[in-house]
Amino acid sequence: MRMRSQTALLFLMPALLLYSLIVVYPTLNGLYLSFTNSTGSARGAEFIGLTNYERMVRDVSGFLKPLMTTLIYAALVTAGQTVIGLGLALWMGKLPRLRDAARVALFTPGMLSLIIVGFVWSFIYNPLSGGLNLLLTSLGLELWTRSWLGEPGLALPAVALVNIWMFAGHSAAIFLANYLSIPSELLESATLEGASGWQRFWYIEFPLLAPALTINTALTLIGGLRVFELPYVMTRGGPGDATKVLNMEIFNQAFGQSNYGYGSALTVALLLIILSLTLVQNSYLRKRELNT
Amino acid sequence: MNAVQSPLTRAAPRRRPIPWATLLSAFGLILVTVIYLLPVGYMLLTSVKSSLEIAVNPLGLPRSLSFENYIDVFNRMNYLRAVFNTIFITAVSSIGIVLVSALAAYPLARVQTRWSSVAYQYFSFGLMIPSFVVIIPLYSLMRSVGLLNTYAGLILIYIAFNIPFAVFFFTSFIRNLPKELEEAGLIDGCTPITVFWYIVLPLLRPVIGTVMMFITLSIWNDFLLPLVFLFDANSRTIMVNVYSFLGYYGFSPTTLFPAAVLGSLPLLVFFFFLQRQIIAGITAGSVKG
Repeated sequence: MRMRSQTALLFLMPALLLYSLIVVYPTLNGLYLSFTNSTGSARGAEFIGLTNYERMVRDVSGFLKPLMTTLIYAALVTAGQTVIGLGLALWMGKLPRLRDAARVALFTPGMLSLIIVGFVWSFIYNPLSGGLNLLLTSLGLELWTRSWLGEPGLALPAVALVNIWMFAGHSAAIFLANYLSIPSELLESATLEGASGWQRFWYIEFPLLAPALTINTALTLIGGLRVFELPYVMTRGGPGDATKVLNMEIFNQAFGQSNYGYGSALTVALLLIILSLTLVQNSYLRKRELNT
Repeated sequence: MNAVQSPLTRAAPRRRPIPWATLLSAFGLILVTVIYLLPVGYMLLTSVKSSLEIAVNPLGLPRSLSFENYIDVFNRMNYLRAVFNTIFITAVSSIGIVLVSALAAYPLARVQTRWSSVAYQYFSFGLMIPSFVVIIPLYSLMRSVGLLNTYAGLILIYIAFNIPFAVFFFTSFIRNLPKELEEAGLIDGCTPITVFWYIVLPLLRPVIGTVMMFITLSIWNDFLLPLVFLFDANSRTIMVNVYSFLGYYGFSPTTLFPAAVLGSLPLLVFFFFLQRQIIAGITAGSVKG
């Protein structure tokens, strides 16, 4: 079909305008703000070069520690969600009759909002009246009861577990879709040749699930690095700053203290970290896909 | 359908000699699924217990159903207003996203010149930008043009943020449509805009459904954007409303659980009716590459 350039431009105009004004311009503006000492007032932002970034790399409580916390959180979530999702998917894959019902059931927690799940689990983790400690007590496991969100070493894994619980069903659904696309002759011939369950998993199923592994780890890694809502609702970053992740510090700098310049520098840093980690992860896993 | 049935029929003869192992495995999967859903069940059951019963019977099934907490929470948290706000914002945003993005996708899919591929890449760039990067400068921008704390402001943000993904979706779909219908329309004297409206847009119906589903899921559960851009008590969306309600009234289980159920209910109903499409939509494409 032939379409004149003016007509084409007319069709593109609304999208171009909105997208340029609300996404592209603020992105570039954020990059600029990160080199200023802006506090959001109309005037008074000065260009201060790399000062924000120099401050950042020496800022232990406002950048280095939250960065470390965010990385540990993302690692916990990625590992947990991938392993559990893979296990559930293989289990469902081998039980065709239960498959659809189990997939829907396991998917459900991810349909709830992070805010609501955060509130509900804060109560479940409550040391006195929360469901988890009561359940442990009724099973005779009083020794295992804890102040789950109150102990510095325990709070971060406890929040990560909630994240894993919410989205392991998503990972499982993606692994399962991949598993069902494997020709069943491959799996059968392996069984006929006398491969044990473990051999079948390690030499056939797992390598063939490489595409799902790549997409799942990418999704969970990015999601984990961008974590905000769960710790914001469940712990407010505490106890101490045990669960203070980067996005909470960004939110606090921007909207708590109106440090737009420094806050923007933190977002630029987080963006660069996300981009470089996903690049590394992706090129490694894609290479692995090609080798199999 | 075939894909679902063939492994079943093929696997059956192999499994027949050891049915007890399959049975055990099936029982195990059911058990694990039930344990997995315990927190959801705990939320539902606790929400219909009175405060006395929560104290004496915190884990068991409720001995009597008490809906007073629901009525109380429903009235105090301005529930219907927040639900209406969210539905309104979701509806206007998704119509806006579909129209604006489909309009843009049409020439991008049909015109093969250098500038059209440049424009396409310009839109794809937005797929990589997470919303938190944009929030600080966008906040100043919205404040300076007077759109902070307005429905219009949040709706425009949702439209703009979703343009990259929707343009991407629509463009690849239109590329696979036959051109003959559009050409026939032009020969019969239609203008490009009437061809778009009467021929292209109706053909896009299935993919419009998928795009709208994604938008509904993401807007309903979104928290950060409405928290920053629409905070007025009467125009708040449901999640900001739940957050400020529970933040204010604290962690009392008699308010927490009914509010949690009320906040989740509309989307759970939506999920219940569209589960197949939603799961397929979220997993589709992810394993093809």
